[in-house]
Amino acid sequence: MQIKRRLILSCGVAAIMSIAAIASYADETCNSPYMSGLIKGQEDFVHVWTLGVPGMGDGSDKLVTIDANPASKTYGKVIHKLSVGGRGEAHHMGFTDDRKYLWAGGLDDSKIYVFDVGTNPAHPKLVKTIDDLPAKTGYAGPHTFYALPGRMLIGSLSNTADKGGVTGLSSYNNKGGFIAKYDMPTATIKQVKGDGYGYDVAVNPAKNALLTTSFAGWNNYMRDLGEVVKDPEAMKHFGNTMVLWNLKTMQPEQIFAVPGAPLEIRWALPEGNDWAITATALTSKLWLVKRDAQGRWQAKDVATIGDPAKIPLPVDISITADAKGLWVNTFMDGTTHYFDLTDPEHPQQTYSKHTGSQVNMVSQSWDGRRVYITSSLLSKWDKQGKDNEQFLRAFHWDGHELTPAFEVDFAKEQLGRPHHMKFTANSPQRVASLEDASGR
Amino acid sequence: MRGCRAVALSLLSLVGIPAAAGAAVDPGKATAPRMEFAAPPPGSYTLQMIQRVSDAVLLDSTGRTVRLSALTRGKITLLTFFYTYCVDPLGCPFAHTTLADLRDRVRADRSLSGRVRFVSVSLDPTHDTPAIVARYAEEFTIDPKFEWRFLTAGRVPQLLPVLDDFGQDVSVDVDENGRATRTLHHMLKMFLIDPHGEVREIYSLAFLQPQVMFNDIKTLALAADPAAPRPRS
Repeated sequence: MQIKRRLILSCGVAAIMSIAAIASYADETCNSPYMSGLIKGQEDFVHVWTLGVPGMGDGSDKLVTIDANPASKTYGKVIHKLSVGGRGEAHHMGFTDDRKYLWAGGLDDSKIYVFDVGTNPAHPKLVKTIDDLPAKTGYAGPHTFYALPGRMLIGSLSNTADKGGVTGLSSYNNKGGFIAKYDMPTATIKQVKGDGYGYDVAVNPAKNALLTTSFAGWNNYMRDLGEVVKDPEAMKHFGNTMVLWNLKTMQPEQIFAVPGAPLEIRWALPEGNDWAITATALTSKLWLVKRDAQGRWQAKDVATIGDPAKIPLPVDISITADAKGLWVNTFMDGTTHYFDLTDPEHPQQTYSKHTGSQVNMVSQSWDGRRVYITSSLLSKWDKQGKDNEQFLRAFHWDGHELTPAFEVDFAKEQLGRPHHMKFTANSPQRVASLEDASGR
Repeated sequence: MRGCRAVALSLLSLVGIPAAAGAAVDPGKATAPRMEFAAPPPGSYTLQMIQRVSDAVLLDSTGRTVRLSALTRGKITLLTFFYTYCVDPLGCPFAHTTLADLRDRVRADRSLSGRVRFVSVSLDPTHDTPAIVARYAEEFTIDPKFEWRFLTAGRVPQLLPVLDDFGQDVSVDVDENGRATRTLHHMLKMFLIDPHGEVREIYSLAFLQPQVMFNDIKTLALAADPAAPRPRS
C-alpha cells in the first residue's frame, strides 16, 4: 500500500501536476492563498508601484521592475518602467488568481490599472484601465486587490459623496467587469457599532471567513500629515474597527473594536491555526483575532510596537510562511522589527534595525531569506527635506541579522516614491503554452 | 517519473518547443480543501453574477458537434476542465470525485430532478478524442437520468477561446529537447452556471467543499422557483 502510494505521488505530483490553488500555507509576500504559482525559490523580479512626483522624470505613477535574481547581470537594477500617464496616488497592487495580471490602484483618482506580468514579467504591459469604480459603487480610493477564483475583491478607503472614510468592498471579474458592492457596516452587530471604514481584506477559505480593517478617507490621506495630526476633528476620522464577514454570503457577522486604524491583515494559514494578526497605525499595537475556547472570535491587543507614545506608526507587516514570525515596519522612526509569533498570544520582538529615515512596505520571500523594504507612505505623508529618502532596499536575512543586498535610489533615478512591491519569476523551465505546444 | 511520461504519447509531444530559461516558480504543495464551518443554508444568500458564458462549438463523446450554449443554458450547470490521463491526486481525479459526490447529492434531492447537469471539457483535444473521452466518461455516467456531458474540441484552436473566456490557464511541460510532454499544468477550477448562462460561482481547490457547492446549487434552484422564499439580499 505504501509503495503504491509513493508511486502515485511520484507520477502524480512530480510528473503530471495540475497546479491547484494553494491553501495550506501563508503567502510569500502576503498574496491571496488562492493564487497559483507561488514563488518558493528565488524571485526574479520585484515590481514596485511608484507614485509620480512633479518634476521628477515624467512625473507619472509607474510600475517599476527591478531585477532581483543574483545570478543575473542586471541584478539590483531597474530593468523596466511603465508610466500610466498620470498621477493618481499609486498605492497597492494584487495579482489575479492565475498570477498573470497585476491590478494596481490609485487612491486619488480611483483608477485601477491592469498590468500583464505573466507574458513577460521583465516587461510588464498595461492592458486595461478600469475607471468605473466610483460610478458603480460610490466608493473611492481602491486599496486592496485580493484574488478570489476568477475575480478580484477590492477594499476601498473612501467615498465620492463626502470623501470621508465610509466605504465598502467591491468585486470585479478578471475581465474587468463590475460584479457587486458591499457597504462596510455602520450598524451595531453584537454590541459593537460599525464605523463603515475600510482598508485591507484577507480571507481564510477553510473558515469561510473574511476579515477587513479600517483606516481613513480621502480627506485625511490626501492631506498633509502634519495638518491632520494637529486637527482634532480630523483625528476623529480614523477607523477603529475590524469586521468579520461570512465570505459565502458576504454578510458582516461580527465587528471588533480595534482602536487606532488597524491596517494589514495576515491569516496564519498553516493547518491547525485559527488566528489572524494586524497592526494598528496610531496606537502601535499588534492585535490578534482568534477563536476562544468556546469557538467565538475575539480580538485583543497582544503586543506593543516600539514606544506607542512616540507614535512610531507601524504601516506594514509581513508574516512568515510558517506563521511563526512577523516583520513590522514603523514609518516615523524608520525601523524594521521582527516579532517571534511562536505564541501568537504573546508576540516577542527579537530583532530591530534602523533601515531608513522613513520606511513603509516590507515584503519577504517565501523562504524568509530575503526582505525588501520601500520608503514611501503617501505623497502627503512622506517626510520633508533630507529625511524624504525614496528607495527600495533589499536585505538578506539569516535569522539573526539583516544585511544589505542591493538598493535602488528612486529619487536619484527620477522614478518617484516607491510603495507596494510584488514578486514575479520567469516561466518555469521548459513550459510552453497550450497554443505553442499544439504547434499552432 | 519516466514510467508516467511513457504511458502513451499524445500529439502534443510531436511538436518541438524551445525551452524557456530560468526557473523560480514552485507550484507548491497542494492540499485537499478543509472545511471548518457550517455551510450557509440554501437561499440565505445570493450568488454573484460573475460573467456570461460565451458560445463555442465543441464535440461530444459521440463525435457530434455541440454548441456550448446548449449545455450552459436551461439547467444549472457545473462545468470543469480535465484531461483523461491526469493522475494528480488533487487534480482532475479529485475534481471528478467531488462531482460524483455532488451528483449523488443531487440525485437524492427530488426538487433538483432534471434541473442540474455537469459538463467536463477536455484540455487536450490532441489526445482526448471523442472515443477516448467516451471511455473515460463511462465511470461517471452511470445514471442515464443524470446529464453529465463530456466534451472535447476538434483542434486546440477551437478550445483556446473557451479557455480564454473562462480564464482557465493551461501550460505544457516540454522535455530537454523542447518537445511537448504529457505534463499539463492547470489551475483546478469549477464553474457554477445558472440556467441563463451566467457564471454564479467559481471554485478553485480551496473551495471544493461539496456541502457548500450543493447549497449553492440549491440556492440557484430556489431563485429560479417563484414559490421559493427570497434570499436576504
